[in-house]
Amino acid sequence: MGANRRNTMEKKLSAGFSPRTGIVRQLCAVGLSLLLAMVLSGTAYGQNQAVTGTVTSTGGAPLQGVTIRVQGTDIRAVTDGAGRYRLTAPSDAVLTFSYVGTRPVQMTVAGRSSIDVTMAQIPYLEEVVVTAYTEQRRADITGAVSSLNVESAQRQTGASVLQRLDASVPGVTVASGGSPGSRSTVRIRGISSFQNNDPLYIIDGTPVQESYLNFLNPNDITSVQVLKDASSASIYGARASNGVILIETTKRGVAGPPQVTLRARTGVASPVRGYDDILITNSMDYFEVMRASYENAGDAIPTNIYGDPNNPSLPVYIWPNACPATAACSGVVTGVDAFGRATSVNAAAYSTPGSLIMAGSEGTNWWDAVFSSAPVSDYNLDVAGGSDENAYRVSFNFFDQGGTARYNHFKRGSVRVNTTFNRGKLSFGENISLALERHHGGMPDDPGGFAEDGILGKNILQQPVIPVFDIQGNFAGGKAKTLGNQGNPLKWAWAGKDNETRNNQVFGNVFAGLDMNPAITFRTRLGFNVAQRTTLAFTPASPEIAEATFGNSAGENRNDFNDWTWTNTLRYVKALSKHNFDFLIGQEANKGRNRYIEASIGGLINTSVDTRYIQDVLGTSKDVFTTGGQNSLLSVFGKADYNFADKYVASFTVRRDGSSRLAPGNQWGTFPAVGLGWRISNEPFLANNRILSDVMLRYGWGVTGNQLIPSGRIIAQFGGGKGDTFYDVAGGNSIVTGFRQTSLGNANLKWEENKSTNIGADMLLFEGKLNFIVDVYRRSTSNLLFDPRLPATAGVASPPIINVGQMRNTGIDFSVGHAAPSWSLSLNGSHYKNEIISINGVQDFFYGPISTRFGNQVINQVGHPIGSFYGLVTDGFFQSQAEADAHTADAVTGLCATPPCQDGAAPGRFKFKDTNNDGIVNAADRTIIGDPHPDFTAGLDMGLRRGNFDLNATFFGSFGNDIFENQKEFYVFRQFETNVLKDLFDNSWTPSNPNAKYPRIDRNDSFSSQLSNFYIEDGSYVRLRNVQLGYSVPSGFSRWMPSGSRIYLQGENLLTFTGYEGLDPSLPAANISGAAGDIRDQYRGVDRGAYPSNRVFSIGFVTSF
Amino acid sequence: MKIASKHPLLVGMACLALSTGVIYGCSDFLSSSAPPQGALDSGNLANRSGVEATLIGAYRPLDCTTSSGSWGCAASNWAFGTVGSGDAYKGSTGADQPPINDLEGYHWASGNAEDYLNQKWSHVYEGVVRSNATLRLLKSVLTSNPGEFSTADANGVAGEAIFLRAHYHFEAYRFWGNIPYYLEDETDFRKPNATTTEVITALLADLDSAAKLLPAAPRNGQKGRATSWTAKAYKGRVQVYAGQFAAAITTLSDVRLNGPYELEASFDRVWTGFASFSNGKETILAYQASANDGDPGGNNANQGERLNMPNGGHFGCCGFNQPTQNLVNFYRVDAAGLPLSLSAPTTWNSNNNNFTAADNLPVDPRLDWTVGREGVPLKDWGLYTVSAYARDVANGGPYSPKRNLHEKASGSELVTGGWAPTQQNDVNIHLFRFADALLLEAEAQVEAGSLAIATQLVNMVRTRAGVTAQGCGLPSDPAAAAAEVAAYPICTDDTRLAVPINDPSTVWATYSVSPYPATFASVAIGRQAVRTERRLELAMEGQRLFDLRRWGIAATELNGYLTGVGGGREDTRRLYLANAEAFGTKHQLYPIPNIQIELSKVGTENRLVQNPGW
Repeated sequence: MGANRRNTMEKKLSAGFSPRTGIVRQLCAVGLSLLLAMVLSGTAYGQNQAVTGTVTSTGGAPLQGVTIRVQGTDIRAVTDGAGRYRLTAPSDAVLTFSYVGTRPVQMTVAGRSSIDVTMAQIPYLEEVVVTAYTEQRRADITGAVSSLNVESAQRQTGASVLQRLDASVPGVTVASGGSPGSRSTVRIRGISSFQNNDPLYIIDGTPVQESYLNFLNPNDITSVQVLKDASSASIYGARASNGVILIETTKRGVAGPPQVTLRARTGVASPVRGYDDILITNSMDYFEVMRASYENAGDAIPTNIYGDPNNPSLPVYIWPNACPATAACSGVVTGVDAFGRATSVNAAAYSTPGSLIMAGSEGTNWWDAVFSSAPVSDYNLDVAGGSDENAYRVSFNFFDQGGTARYNHFKRGSVRVNTTFNRGKLSFGENISLALERHHGGMPDDPGGFAEDGILGKNILQQPVIPVFDIQGNFAGGKAKTLGNQGNPLKWAWAGKDNETRNNQVFGNVFAGLDMNPAITFRTRLGFNVAQRTTLAFTPASPEIAEATFGNSAGENRNDFNDWTWTNTLRYVKALSKHNFDFLIGQEANKGRNRYIEASIGGLINTSVDTRYIQDVLGTSKDVFTTGGQNSLLSVFGKADYNFADKYVASFTVRRDGSSRLAPGNQWGTFPAVGLGWRISNEPFLANNRILSDVMLRYGWGVTGNQLIPSGRIIAQFGGGKGDTFYDVAGGNSIVTGFRQTSLGNANLKWEENKSTNIGADMLLFEGKLNFIVDVYRRSTSNLLFDPRLPATAGVASPPIINVGQMRNTGIDFSVGHAAPSWSLSLNGSHYKNEIISINGVQDFFYGPISTRFGNQVINQVGHPIGSFYGLVTDGFFQSQAEADAHTADAVTGLCATPPCQDGAAPGRFKFKDTNNDGIVNAADRTIIGDPHPDFTAGLDMGLRRGNFDLNATFFGSFGNDIFENQKEFYVFRQFETNVLKDLFDNSWTPSNPNAKYPRIDRNDSFSSQLSNFYIEDGSYVRLRNVQLGYSVPSGFSRWMPSGSRIYLQGENLLTFTGYEGLDPSLPAANISGAAGDIRDQYRGVDRGAYPSNRVFSIGFVTSF
Repeated sequence: MKIASKHPLLVGMACLALSTGVIYGCSDFLSSSAPPQGALDSGNLANRSGVEATLIGAYRPLDCTTSSGSWGCAASNWAFGTVGSGDAYKGSTGADQPPINDLEGYHWASGNAEDYLNQKWSHVYEGVVRSNATLRLLKSVLTSNPGEFSTADANGVAGEAIFLRAHYHFEAYRFWGNIPYYLEDETDFRKPNATTTEVITALLADLDSAAKLLPAAPRNGQKGRATSWTAKAYKGRVQVYAGQFAAAITTLSDVRLNGPYELEASFDRVWTGFASFSNGKETILAYQASANDGDPGGNNANQGERLNMPNGGHFGCCGFNQPTQNLVNFYRVDAAGLPLSLSAPTTWNSNNNNFTAADNLPVDPRLDWTVGREGVPLKDWGLYTVSAYARDVANGGPYSPKRNLHEKASGSELVTGGWAPTQQNDVNIHLFRFADALLLEAEAQVEAGSLAIATQLVNMVRTRAGVTAQGCGLPSDPAAAAAEVAAYPICTDDTRLAVPINDPSTVWATYSVSPYPATFASVAIGRQAVRTERRLELAMEGQRLFDLRRWGIAATELNGYLTGVGGGREDTRRLYLANAEAFGTKHQLYPIPNIQIELSKVGTENRLVQNPGW
């Protein structure tokens, strides 16, 4: 029965798969068949005698979780916390002991009832890891390849495994926010390019280059390898410039009946810090700041909110100034005080949105209004099993992460099916995952161009005197004068509660292999990535704010894309006495297409979710826009590895890629690499060395490429838009079509090239007790694909992308580890230095992509790292009127008594340095004032085991990176009359506080707030990312908790050590794109109000049966 | 399988070759993915409709476009020519749009000011680029397919494009003086600046050739298009700016006597949302604003001006560009109906207080078409109140801009969406109107000593100003109407927006404006009268700063504006103005944006040279 079943499936797999039609339907059929097969398989066996024993490591410590199988049967057992096991087996049976990271052991029972086993760890250099297109022994790898400690990375509750990569893999930095489902910006060994620095992810052989890998269930991941240098990555040629991350989800079943594993985790998250920790929360305290601000400016202090400035009081009611007693408010306001403040109202006569009446608040905690704790849960069920001829694993996942901001959450459901079948020399199978993601809420994932307008920009900095709701329970706001220009942040959260981002994605591959003989293997693999992403958004009317708006709008967009990659490789392995050869040749083709449609409607008559559709009858205007893209890559590659006597290793790879994005004639690029290794410990002179037990020295050099620019940039493009080129030339209120050139093409576009050199060593010291890996590197990018700005005389058309720029990264990564059975410790650290060498050959700088209220704080300048901070340099305060006068330029001569002359010099304002020594402080004195790149990042992973308990902790630290705390525009300088820092009043300049932290509070001081190093803060921090306490259930503990089950308590981000005074030093990357692609690396480390990281307490449970 | 085991390598290679062959078999695998999606290439436009549409694209940058930044590119130049010229304060709240604070305080070298200046620079050169693209495309179509255009149309397209090119360059010239001038075949976008003399020569050459090519009436009857008369009038403007008064008189008197232009019958028809009055005889060149035109974002509905509405009430947002106390005082008249600033030069500006209806002093009726002030009907929106409409009195004063405000009854307001639809309308923005041309000619006549004709020209403008005044314009909104009637019972049922200036209903003001009774007694008096009239007639239209600089009196006037003139000083009225830099010689021209200088670098040399003093 079972065999018949399998035959049917094979037919389906070998004959039925067609890339052109019905992929999804067929895959579903395969998945269902597999499930059925699984249920129907299984055989009964007899039983004979009981066997017990203890499994220990070479050091004598008991090993928990060792799987013991009786060969040829379904019988298995798992050791408990004391390393003990118990099973029944035929008296002549063979037992197999297997445990991750150790050499498997086989024992014959031979009638014994007690069998104790010692298991030896696999030495680091003998580990086999998945690298490019093949599996390799560590000792054969000459490049810089780091493995992620998957177990450690999975001790987290984020949607993506990428978020924890930086603590575990040296040379990797990750930026992600606390928003559920947040994007992860992973960077390997610095920044290679002005744009598109995402590494290439190869998931089970299928390439994907993007930073949302949320569709991938972290629990499905078996291994993550990071190829950091060109000699390891250049076989991926065209797209490997930013490094390659290989993710394997190929957890497969082992022969035997279905084994079910259930993992469940649930917990609660809260923000690591809130603005209420640093901002004023008491209205009368806020008034003191406001009073000082008017008083110091010489302006009259407004009385409409707090009444008599000398005897201020909380208003009973706040009503807008735009509410004269004779008009809309008549009948509502029934009593006013001497300052025109309403003292009594007739709530029954009140209606919005004509006016706004709200009770004065003693102090609204706006942070608390929006942020609170949120539940997090993650459930996984795996079923795995198989026989010698097949193996399967099916997993189900449901992940639900509430945002700490209200009305915000992320959910994912996924199903994965991995199977393999073996028929003689032929093997085939598939790995497929189907994931549905749902993100709800109006909180953007990352700050972007909308940061100031987002909830976490300035809206959450609403004044404390404003209540959350008006007298009728509608959302209140700062409509009255002096209350600022902020939206009600809770209203924005609420209005966005039905905003949804959906992602439906099928990702995976089908593969077949033919092992013609043990030496020659042919493999073919078709990978695919088919997805549909939809976003729904709604913008409400906001009559309650100072800049009231009365219109609403709704929009939706959809991006459909499908990508396929077909890879064919032929491998030939040959050993001739001490000479070992491994050859691989291959060919790959990749094609991607997407189509995007976006539509919006304004003036919705009814704003309920059910009517948020784009139809004429539902609103007053609608707009629609579609676009698309397509690209292809064609490649051939080869690889030759040679190993002599396990001492000398040489590796050569070459790849040729053709890209449709580049100009004909320049489409093809060649990417060679060479690697050399010397296992010096196998030389006689180091034999039996007591310190150096095993040492491998590595050298690698190679070239990788980058071509990730929008397609179609070879030729000039023309277009336009109704608001850009259309014009009412007849003067009759109807527009006529117009065109302009929208982008300039470059008919010579070619590859961006990255040449990298890596020197490294893998060392096992003190008889393997200490494991030390170090790599130093230099990566130079040339022909950098970039669109340097043209003079405005060339027009606004997107400048052509050219290949002129150069950038360099140099650095060092290392890791040190010790793993004993009862404890382990591993530390990794990395440092890189990024430097722009050339921009377009002439220009020596260009500004960053975003200007905030006071200008652009980022510059990309030759000789400095990408995204450096830029501004004036403060030089204390003007301490007296005399000093200020001396620096004020004379109207006629333009000179001042004491140079440098400075505009707006006044006591208590910042004095700035005349950095160019021209006697005037002006924009020309801006200089580089900070660097967002860390000098050093480090991860520390610790594990401890005592009996049935285990304790693990992970620390992460970033040192020497600057943060541009742009929120100071608001919470120090009170731009738009926002709320301010708690310590502002006490620490501002006054004649009696001349060495203050902040300048004098003065609403007319538009000078001190100029972008300067006052905004720069040290962003270094050390964070206890994770601590987990686990308990392994011993046998017989409970009937419903089989032996081998584990329960644990986990805490994330419990401690942070930092000098950063803003919300959270762990900032996500800004979400920005330019005409030539993603440019978030030009704008790092600017705090414009980011979703803070989460502190999560959770409890989890893992069991198998 | 036997072959496989005997010759495994061969079979493997065959498998690989086969699979490779499948892909390589489709030879266009790479090229089929190369073309851009959703865009046109140059070939698509190489025909008559492509040329015409490219020309339309060249008109559009008369105001900000969606590809041109925020407000530095506004058609009216309000942030440059109005704010900081004594006509308007920045307005709004202190911290909003900080670049305008620096423009107003003459801190033009600041990074913030550079941001706006760079928007303007980029925007006018985008206009030049689009104009030149039209000319190039026309040439290539005429070469490849001569039958595509009639001679008249070919000349018309070329003439309009050349005219637009001149207009955009003139804008740059008014700002920066020494600018590079780009003709259609130039490809070096890092050209050095030309001198002002060279720029004038190029402008006049372009305007002459445009005038020759263009028809006398707009092509296709489309009123937004330039005609030969537009080019001629514009030439007169350039000549006056260049101080070529004799030539200017020839040009402008020809336009006045033989051209199609006339003054609108009354001032309320000059700035209006009523379609029946827009593009009247007075319009020489206007940005043809359109609202509810099918663009859901309302981006053609005066993008650049949308901050310039009263702040509260119906209008919601921003409250920028608030008229100054100085400007309001400037509209006062003496008993003879002549400007008080001329007859009482030491006291006309002494009123520091909010000038309200209750003051009821004699004023030029243009005041209440220009400034929203307490107790005066705001067109047909009801009574203007400081509490409702002025955003932050300490910062921006009690007044609001009014000329560009649409009448409610005109239906000119944007309704289809956009960011702040109540602040957007299809009121055309005058870039050059006949009253401006008349006063330019008057200026030239004065300088040439022809005082009689100069007096006559000024009086044409003053006479028209005296035709109507703001009427009750009783609003349709019942609450607003009730409030107005409560204040002014005489307004019951009186929905007239404009009334004769002596109409009994205008109880909030005493309106008076008279022509000068006699020919100007001297060149100096004539000059003063013409300059005064230009401010009164063209206030809040973005002209004043450029006028002051042209007259060479900007430093005197603007420093006087701040520190004392006519009995009043602004640095005590708006305290933040105490931080203003003194207006000096260098302010005669704006600094060229540093970023553009840097981008003009070739080798180690910056091709663009900064203006003197910056």
